[in-house]
Amino acid sequence: MTDRNFDPALWRGLTEPRYSRRQFMRAAGIGAGGLSLAAILAACGTKGISAVNPTASQSGGVGSTDWWSKQTQHNTLNFANWPYYIDTSHGKHPTLDAFEKATGIHVNYTEPINDNVSFFAKIRPQLQAGNDTGYDIVVLTNSDPPLGQMITFGWAIPLDQSKMVNFYQYASDLVKNPSWDPGNKYTMAWQSGYTCIGYNTKYIKEDITSIQSLFDPKYKGKIGMFGIASELGSFGLLANGVDPATSTPDDWKAAAAKLQSQKPLVRQYYDQDYIKALKNEDIWISMAWSGDIFQASAYQGYDTLKAVIPDEGAMFWTDNMVMPLNAQNPLDAMTYMDSVYDPHTQALIEDYNAYVCPVPAAREIILKQLKDPTIANSPTVFPDAAMVARSKSYYQWKTSQELDEWNNTFVPIFQG
Amino acid sequence: MERRRGTRKGKRLAPYLLGAPAAIWLGVFFLVPLVTMMSLSLQRCDSVTLACRMIWHFGEFPEQVSQFRPFFMRSLYYAGSATVIDLLVSFPIAYWIAFRAKRKNFFLLMLLLPFFVSFVIRTISWQFLLSDQGILLGTLKNLHLLPENFHVLATGTAVIAGIAYNFLPFTALPLYVSLERIDPHVLEAAHDLYASRRAAFAKVTIPLAVPGIFAAFLLTFVPGAGDYLNAQILGGTSNGMIGNVIQNKFLVFFDYPAASALSAILMGVMLIGIAAYAKVLGSRTIEEYI
Amino acid sequence: MPEVDVRLERVTKEFGDTVAVDDLSVDITEGEFFSMLGPSGCGKTTTLRMIGGFEDPTYGTVYLGGRDVTDDPPYRRDVNTVFQSYALFPHLNVFDNVAFGLRRKKVGKEEIQRRVQEVMHLVDLRGFGERKPGQMSGGQQQRVALARALVNSPKVLLLDEPLGALDLKLRKQMQLELKRIQQEVGITFIYVTHDQEEAMTMSDRLAVMRRGRIEQLGEPEEVYDNPATEFVAGFLGASNLLDGEIGSHQDGITTIKLSTGSTVLVPSDRMPPDVETQVKVGVRPEKITIRNDSEDLPAGYNSVSGLLRVATYIGVSHQYKIDGPGGTELTVYVQNLGAVTPPAPGEKVSLAWRPEHTFVVKPSASLSEEEEEE
Repeated sequence: MTDRNFDPALWRGLTEPRYSRRQFMRAAGIGAGGLSLAAILAACGTKGISAVNPTASQSGGVGSTDWWSKQTQHNTLNFANWPYYIDTSHGKHPTLDAFEKATGIHVNYTEPINDNVSFFAKIRPQLQAGNDTGYDIVVLTNSDPPLGQMITFGWAIPLDQSKMVNFYQYASDLVKNPSWDPGNKYTMAWQSGYTCIGYNTKYIKEDITSIQSLFDPKYKGKIGMFGIASELGSFGLLANGVDPATSTPDDWKAAAAKLQSQKPLVRQYYDQDYIKALKNEDIWISMAWSGDIFQASAYQGYDTLKAVIPDEGAMFWTDNMVMPLNAQNPLDAMTYMDSVYDPHTQALIEDYNAYVCPVPAAREIILKQLKDPTIANSPTVFPDAAMVARSKSYYQWKTSQELDEWNNTFVPIFQG
Repeated sequence: MERRRGTRKGKRLAPYLLGAPAAIWLGVFFLVPLVTMMSLSLQRCDSVTLACRMIWHFGEFPEQVSQFRPFFMRSLYYAGSATVIDLLVSFPIAYWIAFRAKRKNFFLLMLLLPFFVSFVIRTISWQFLLSDQGILLGTLKNLHLLPENFHVLATGTAVIAGIAYNFLPFTALPLYVSLERIDPHVLEAAHDLYASRRAAFAKVTIPLAVPGIFAAFLLTFVPGAGDYLNAQILGGTSNGMIGNVIQNKFLVFFDYPAASALSAILMGVMLIGIAAYAKVLGSRTIEEYI
Repeated sequence: MPEVDVRLERVTKEFGDTVAVDDLSVDITEGEFFSMLGPSGCGKTTTLRMIGGFEDPTYGTVYLGGRDVTDDPPYRRDVNTVFQSYALFPHLNVFDNVAFGLRRKKVGKEEIQRRVQEVMHLVDLRGFGERKPGQMSGGQQQRVALARALVNSPKVLLLDEPLGALDLKLRKQMQLELKRIQQEVGITFIYVTHDQEEAMTMSDRLAVMRRGRIEQLGEPEEVYDNPATEFVAGFLGASNLLDGEIGSHQDGITTIKLSTGSTVLVPSDRMPPDVETQVKVGVRPEKITIRNDSEDLPAGYNSVSGLLRVATYIGVSHQYKIDGPGGTELTVYVQNLGAVTPPAPGEKVSLAWRPEHTFVVKPSASLSEEEEEE
């Protein structure tokens, strides 16, 4: 039943659902110029969006009870996800096959998303023009702007709360009523993960328990931080004992000052490549994504690498399923989104991708039926209460001015 | 009679027809983006909605220059150092291949071989090679030839070395071409006319290689100054180049006006610098040989 | 006795397995116009380059003005070269090209100015100082190359087929020009060419080279009229050669029996010293008189008969191709005096020449294809 014999390359892919957009651009290399050009031209040709799509809020509009009652099942569903994120066995996705068997809905599962921003850039013109994007479900991360923008601009179809039966019964508190989408009006989580601290026990003999270790002069030149404004800013806030979700611009300035003072100690502000620097032993301690460290130490032989959720807390991010406006098969999408909250379905998905599971009830099934205690007992897959208490949410930018202010506060740190 | 006229007309049009694809290509893929970029630098854009409005905001230029002057200076310094290193390193190589080597094509291929690997991969291999505990530094440290805290990565030296390495073929090839074109008899003539090896090199080889040196400089310095990858992969927290700023502004923060202004400034600095450089070298000489 | 300017002593140059110059010795005297003539690959250019210092001899010694310069680089030898390709400095104008050598020798500015002007005058290039070589014709470039070498007043000037790239008319003109300049400046010229006419026009002495060796060395008339080998005979203009066998010597006359049975008389002092029984008898085409078979021969003339194949009228002369004894093709030039009716093709003719115009050479191995081409 379990399909755990996949190669480390797959695991690596699976620990990187959150390619930063910079990472993506770098991967695309010099050729990325073409993309940015397209973006520029697109930018010139638009007037921009100033208000929430009026139809969404009107009674009888898209997403209203009336609207939902008129939707019919089309037995087809177009789902865009990140690579290596769903159970896979011999080229097939067992949970999708089971779903089709049970509901008659065929899922066209594709993996076009490597990066929130660039993927959003591709579907944005259709959304802006009021056309179908070709997808009924897309998966976007809460810590990057596109998810919030989809919601703000009215480009997400409000969910039919009455069909979220499994969700309300089984969803973990970490993903229910989240700060980025109060009341789960538009989104349901696919998986979550942590931005925490990774370090090499070969060089660091003390037990790391606090973010302050990232500011410890004795690790000068061996400290890695993220060169990503949302991540870096959030860690600066945590280091100052501030919860990023409820922080204020003054907090941001204080955090930036703290980070600025840390700069002489920092080796480099990394993206996804921090993991290589950790593996190469160029850095000893770094901000890290939990999955990377987990995979590196468990499956790639870097057994001196260790991930910790510091006492101050760690940033908890979530990839969310969201329905783009003018999706052609909303009812099929609704049905599917709720179905992944069935513990049995979720157990199969979780046992494949080993991220933070949005359905605590899946644990028993993984342990007893799939007999995979490594996953079932991992606190980064099924966080215990202490872990949940230390899971912090990102600040949600409410306006573009806020986003600009955040960036203007934190970007100069890694760009100066 | 008619036919002859037709042929003539065809002949007259031929150069234009032949030039048309290139002109259209340049027009669409160079001129339009260039104008767009210049225009963007005068607009104000919302970083979320991406709505841009022309406000003829020329202030962007001085603002960006004053804010990012260190980045500009660093870019020029890094690219300049890398170019000098490349010229010094590749001149003997190109000279040797052009005048001494028996299997020229083989050595040229060797010179070009790194080009068959992606720029990114090459730079990342350097990162691996120069890693603190890597095969190079790790070994030297184990032999106690280097202090334990010695590192190359995350320094300006690493960035310069990376740029120099990545652009070496861009320097070596034009040099090779210009050296290869030198008639060996001309050097013999110099020796015949009482020029020692050194004098012949200074008075004949170098002047005749000037077009190649100029081309090598252009092909190395210009992309080198605009490069961001080496700084990102091999540099540390204070080795950012202007390319990194532009890349971030464009692709991460969607600050199109600032990014456009920075790009335009970089381009302007380059063009002015190159014009001055060509003037010093004597553009007539260059025209005559290119 | 003029002083020896250049002396090559048992000089050999090997390139890998090939011997380009083979144990060559020669003395070239001061003020002489000396040519080295031969087909390509004969070693003439290599010899010149060894004098110039561009090649090191594998064995042997090179002397310049009595001094051993074998190990000296070109820039320490008081010789200058005019290269076949001119090898002008493309980045310098004519003045700077010509002044190059003087500047290297740290000659004073004013003197440079004076000497360059002088030599430009000599080669008829006044007013061209500002031009770049690329803006000049081949003939002009040639003059620049010459001026650039001459301005240094070297002991010896080496010229490596300097006229090879010029068209015929210009070449003829430059030949005379070169000779004039050489006489004017009085410098030793060593001239390499594969053009026998050119060599004969200008040289005081010439050396015919083949396979790295000198086949014959002497004044042009001597080499032409009395070639030492079949190769020299063939290389220096057209020649008619017949197989023969040495017969009797009597009264300073040697009788040679041709393969057809008839005999040819040669003054014994024109016989080569080391000759064996089998020889080739030769005569230059212009030395032959052609007449109808019936007519009487002048007394004491050598003669052969043959069948006239081709008669060509080229203005100054008539040229005839005759099937001679044993199927040998013979060539005859007759000056166009306009007096007699020329013989017509198909006629039987007899060819006559004076014994003192006859030369005798050893038969040499057949000429290589490469040499034939020349």
